[in-house]
Amino acid sequence: MATAEELKASLMDFEENYNANPKLKTMNRDWNRKVRVKATDVEVEYGLDLKDGVVRFLEQPPAEPDLVVASDGETLTSMFYGEVSPSEPYMDGTLKVTGSEEDLIRLDFVTAMIWG
Amino acid sequence: MSLKRVLSLRTVVSTSAGLTFSTACFVAAAQVASYLAGDAAWLAILVAGVLTLLTAAVFSELNGMFPSAAGLRLYLSKAFGEKFSQVVSLLYMLVITLVVGTETYVLGHVLNYAIPAISPLIWVVVMLVVATAMNLRGVNIAGAFQDFFTYGLVASLVIFAVVAFGRTGIHLQAPLATNGLGGLFNAVAVGVFLFVGFEWVTPLAEEVTQGNVIPRGMFLAVGLLTVVYALFTMAMTATVPGALRQTLLASPTPHLVFGEAVLGRTGVWWMTLTSLAASVTTFNAGLITISRFMYASAREAVLPKWFSQVNVRFATPQNAIISLFFVGLAVSAAVFFSGRYLTLVLMGSAMESIIYAVGAWAVLTLRRRLPDQERPFRAAGGNLLPAAAVIVFGVLALGVMLQNLWVPVLLGLAALACYLYVLYAVPRLKALQAAERDAARQARAARRRPVSTEAAAAADAPTD
Repeated sequence: MATAEELKASLMDFEENYNANPKLKTMNRDWNRKVRVKATDVEVEYGLDLKDGVVRFLEQPPAEPDLVVASDGETLTSMFYGEVSPSEPYMDGTLKVTGSEEDLIRLDFVTAMIWG
Repeated sequence: MSLKRVLSLRTVVSTSAGLTFSTACFVAAAQVASYLAGDAAWLAILVAGVLTLLTAAVFSELNGMFPSAAGLRLYLSKAFGEKFSQVVSLLYMLVITLVVGTETYVLGHVLNYAIPAISPLIWVVVMLVVATAMNLRGVNIAGAFQDFFTYGLVASLVIFAVVAFGRTGIHLQAPLATNGLGGLFNAVAVGVFLFVGFEWVTPLAEEVTQGNVIPRGMFLAVGLLTVVYALFTMAMTATVPGALRQTLLASPTPHLVFGEAVLGRTGVWWMTLTSLAASVTTFNAGLITISRFMYASAREAVLPKWFSQVNVRFATPQNAIISLFFVGLAVSAAVFFSGRYLTLVLMGSAMESIIYAVGAWAVLTLRRRLPDQERPFRAAGGNLLPAAAVIVFGVLALGVMLQNLWVPVLLGLAALACYLYVLYAVPRLKALQAAERDAARQARAARRRPVSTEAAAAADAPTD
């Protein structure tokens, strides 16, 4: 089971990799979204703020998110480290996403472009 | 906590109904009428609509249990396992691709009817290029645009039917003459095509806040479609002169024949614009759904990784979309040269009936396997309703297949190809992906950020 600290570390790693990828800056230049990341087993929530092609990790989750990504800490940590694609836990029902289908698929594009 | 954007019931209804509208639906409606002796098409459409309501109840229960954009793929996986889910999903997407190819062919004929100087084949290529370009650029008709297209189409069809009846008067010939039970059965079986795709609204489950909006939207959409199709088909067959009726029923563009009979060239253009609006929603929903399905399948290593290539500028799955262009072109060309568009319409009907039967079977299986799972919506009547849906749609699928032997042959071959692909190719792709992932994981393990020792110790500590 991943801890809150490990999840936070994975999100910061995601932030670093995302911001280092120039293609993502181009692709998401006008995709401004607030994402709430919710670990259901360790009961912790963080946030990601995507704005003008840059992502920022948020210690405090956004109050009015565009997208809520919820799963157990281990799945979320593996996902943000790029060890699994969001599609897999999503398809088997482990990962719950609340928000627009467009945003969900964009999030998958992002992970595909960072980690292949 | 609240989301910034949520969908209203109005948009859920327009999306569900809009997904079913296509130019090929007019061909199916004429086909329904051709099985019946008099002007009784409304009866077959009504029966098909009521039966489709059974399916709306089935998909509402599944959607309530697993509110996910993965939709059918997830329901079948939970009920019958991964392999079965993969085979059925691949087969379904393959058949929908064929239907999109047919839609292009029929629309090509519609445009050729309106502008005879340009051959249908050229229109086919033009329409596919436009649809592909729209999808590559990430144009998605949704929300307010979907409302505009769907309710505009409904208004157009209802007004035209009223105009037609207004010009000739309502003189229905034998409105209850079903040509025997066999005629009614065949008409209902094809009538299912008119509702193909209404359940594709379930992926929007994550965009609504109230759990009952999707079920209510599906029920309302099926009701609305039943009334609109019944009225339009009745007007189409009852108001044209007797000699023209046979031409209309055998035409790939029956609504244009009808339009011309009622309002001359104005009617032709009215129906051409209606067709274009109906096809836009089909191309949009069909191509986006299939290309995303291909992308997601590639990410899961069910299809080769190549299909997961993303266009950086427009954020769309470019390789999947371009592949679909060539498949669509090949299908349209095959239909163009063989003239067998009805076979593909019937394949679509049969496949949809199979999906409805399998969905109902999944409800029965999940009730047995996951009896305690929360069900915000439960199909009424215990197991009777889903069991009835399995039988009714199973029999309707068989009925469609018996109408044209090419249908079971082509569907059987496609199912076998999907099964063999899932059995032999998918494990290899999965193994390849696992090897790549292992290598990447090892490389990343070193990169994983260290966490505080207190937090790690707390996580490792035994719990009471």
